[in-house]
Amino acid sequence: MKSSIVQALAKYVTARAVRAFAFGLAVAITATTLPAATPAAAHGERSQQAFLRMRTLNWYDVKWSKTELNVNEEMVLTGKVHIFSGWPQAVAKPEVAFLNVGEPGPVLVRKGSYVGGTPVPRSFSLQVGKDYEYKLVLKARRQGRYHVHVQINVESGGPIVGPGQWITIKGDMKDFTNPVTLLDGTTIDLETYGITWTYIYHFFWMAAAAVWILYWFMTKGIIARYWWVKAGKADELIGQNEKRIGGVTLAVVLLAVLGFYAAANKEFPRTLPMQAGLLKGIEPIDEPAPTVTARFKGGSYTVPGRELKVKLAITNSGDAPLKVGEFTAAGLRFLNPDVFTSKPDFPDYLLADRGLSVSDPNPIAPGETREMEIIVQDARFDIERLSDLAYDTDSQFGGLLFLFDPSGKRQKVEIGGPVIPRFAAGAAT
Amino acid sequence: MSLSTETGAPAGKTWKSKEEFLGCVILTDWILLIVLFAVLLGSFHIHYMLLAGDWDFWIDFKDRRMWPTVAPIVAMCFAAAAQSFFWQRFRLPIGATTVVLALLIGEWINRYDNFWGWTFFPINLVFPSALIPMGFWLDIVLMVSGSWLVTALIGGLGWGLLFYPINWPVLAQYHQATEIDGVLLTLADLIGFNYVRTGTPEYIRMVERGTLRTFGKDVVPVAAFFAGFVSMLVYFLWWKMGGWFSTTKYLESEEI
Repeated sequence: MKSSIVQALAKYVTARAVRAFAFGLAVAITATTLPAATPAAAHGERSQQAFLRMRTLNWYDVKWSKTELNVNEEMVLTGKVHIFSGWPQAVAKPEVAFLNVGEPGPVLVRKGSYVGGTPVPRSFSLQVGKDYEYKLVLKARRQGRYHVHVQINVESGGPIVGPGQWITIKGDMKDFTNPVTLLDGTTIDLETYGITWTYIYHFFWMAAAAVWILYWFMTKGIIARYWWVKAGKADELIGQNEKRIGGVTLAVVLLAVLGFYAAANKEFPRTLPMQAGLLKGIEPIDEPAPTVTARFKGGSYTVPGRELKVKLAITNSGDAPLKVGEFTAAGLRFLNPDVFTSKPDFPDYLLADRGLSVSDPNPIAPGETREMEIIVQDARFDIERLSDLAYDTDSQFGGLLFLFDPSGKRQKVEIGGPVIPRFAAGAAT
Repeated sequence: MSLSTETGAPAGKTWKSKEEFLGCVILTDWILLIVLFAVLLGSFHIHYMLLAGDWDFWIDFKDRRMWPTVAPIVAMCFAAAAQSFFWQRFRLPIGATTVVLALLIGEWINRYDNFWGWTFFPINLVFPSALIPMGFWLDIVLMVSGSWLVTALIGGLGWGLLFYPINWPVLAQYHQATEIDGVLLTLADLIGFNYVRTGTPEYIRMVERGTLRTFGKDVVPVAAFFAGFVSMLVYFLWWKMGGWFSTTKYLESEEI
């Protein structure tokens, strides 16, 4: 039975089949190795669910101090982040978070990071519903053009990526230095510090291991030893002489370990354990109480038209009329051209400068409550995969709405709620 | 008619001469050594990266509690299995040394080519744990005692105890202190902070977490003894695993 299966299979091993297999293999190798690798243009933020990106961290006022710099030059990435009140149940709250940078490897090194003015080289806690100011000081290390994002990692929630900007670095990484002053006052270059000794130490031991292995291999090899063992003469292979060699080797090894250990303690008499622990008490932005509220009254998303329509009851309790100027979610900015007469400096792939309109363009007067419809429509909504909201387990949108008075003063209000998907153009809203 | 001028082995003999026979044995020995080394390198590397992973990848994960606990325990698996194979089949006292050397060669290729060559992480962030002297220890304890039971008990304990002192000569320099914006950091912490890892946030580190501190403030000895005890148990299991893996099975001709 078994032989018949083998024989049946053997019939298929023809010269033609072998040629076809070889050709397929060659095509696969060519397809996977020959084309030039293209640089990553994003850090996977589009792969994250829309509801998660819209209703966790709302990034705004993001600024990159430079988009072109030389190796060893510093840039600053600043901005604000609103911790969304309607934080999704599916994601752990940012009780343990870390301010990070989305970049393809350490092409820029992080020289400093601050949240609310507090240095945060370690993880920290954020409060839901609050806003925080952040700052990242980055030093150019490797030449090239890279997409650099701000990012906050949330424990059990994953990385939440903010807007990204293309940064061009000129020069050569071999000129990069990373000077650091130790507590004893000496300055070292962290880029190369201790690397030569690390190589020497590791390769010393690896060479010793290779000598040990080859010594035993060269004395009787493998096959001859197998025959001896099979012949019941295993004990003759390891006699007193061999044990003596082993004992001496072990003594030398242990003495070397002891010597290296003592030398390290002598050279570095003051060492500390690594530092860790959650940083608490990060101050949120001290904002005046808002004079505007927006109550969600329902919404829909038309998938073919890439159009988000939201009904809001907006109350202006301030002393100046307000116009709806911007909606921002998941790092995208949708602007009302009635309010933004010029295009702000922001990455184009995230800026829909004509992406927002309102059903009633008249300013909301002080003391007035007005029901109005906000329409967000732009291809970027779809390109950045926010339209996938229709297919999420929690089809609630979220974001920040910015309203402006005639003097340009900005009011911020959080909006969000369930939206009903419309899968056909012109479907009832 | 054959073009070869060589003559075959005499009738009834497989080999023309003793020299030819010995040459064939030596060549096969070398092939075996290289193949075995490559197989152990690949399999141990996967095993160790999956189980020790970040503790072995990054300098700012190499703490005094979790790293000296996890790394020796998971490294013991292949060391014991390889000893079982090399000792029982060949009486070669090189099992543990061979696998740790294979692992380190694989790791250094990975760290240099991938971590440094492709993603530019400096070597002082990504160098692997040193393990070679532990390999010597385990092999020589087995050779001198001739007993896998003694090796499990004495060798296993020493395996755990030796790990931190072996690594300290490289690690010590990175435990010097510095201060950034009023925050105290070791150089190991600072390297991890400076050289951005987008997918590795700081909170993933498990720096001296756990309940072993119940036994006192001397973190490393407690972790090392614990690692030693668990390594003993792992040794027993994986010695048997190695024996099972190195069993030769034959198929009867009528079965194929």
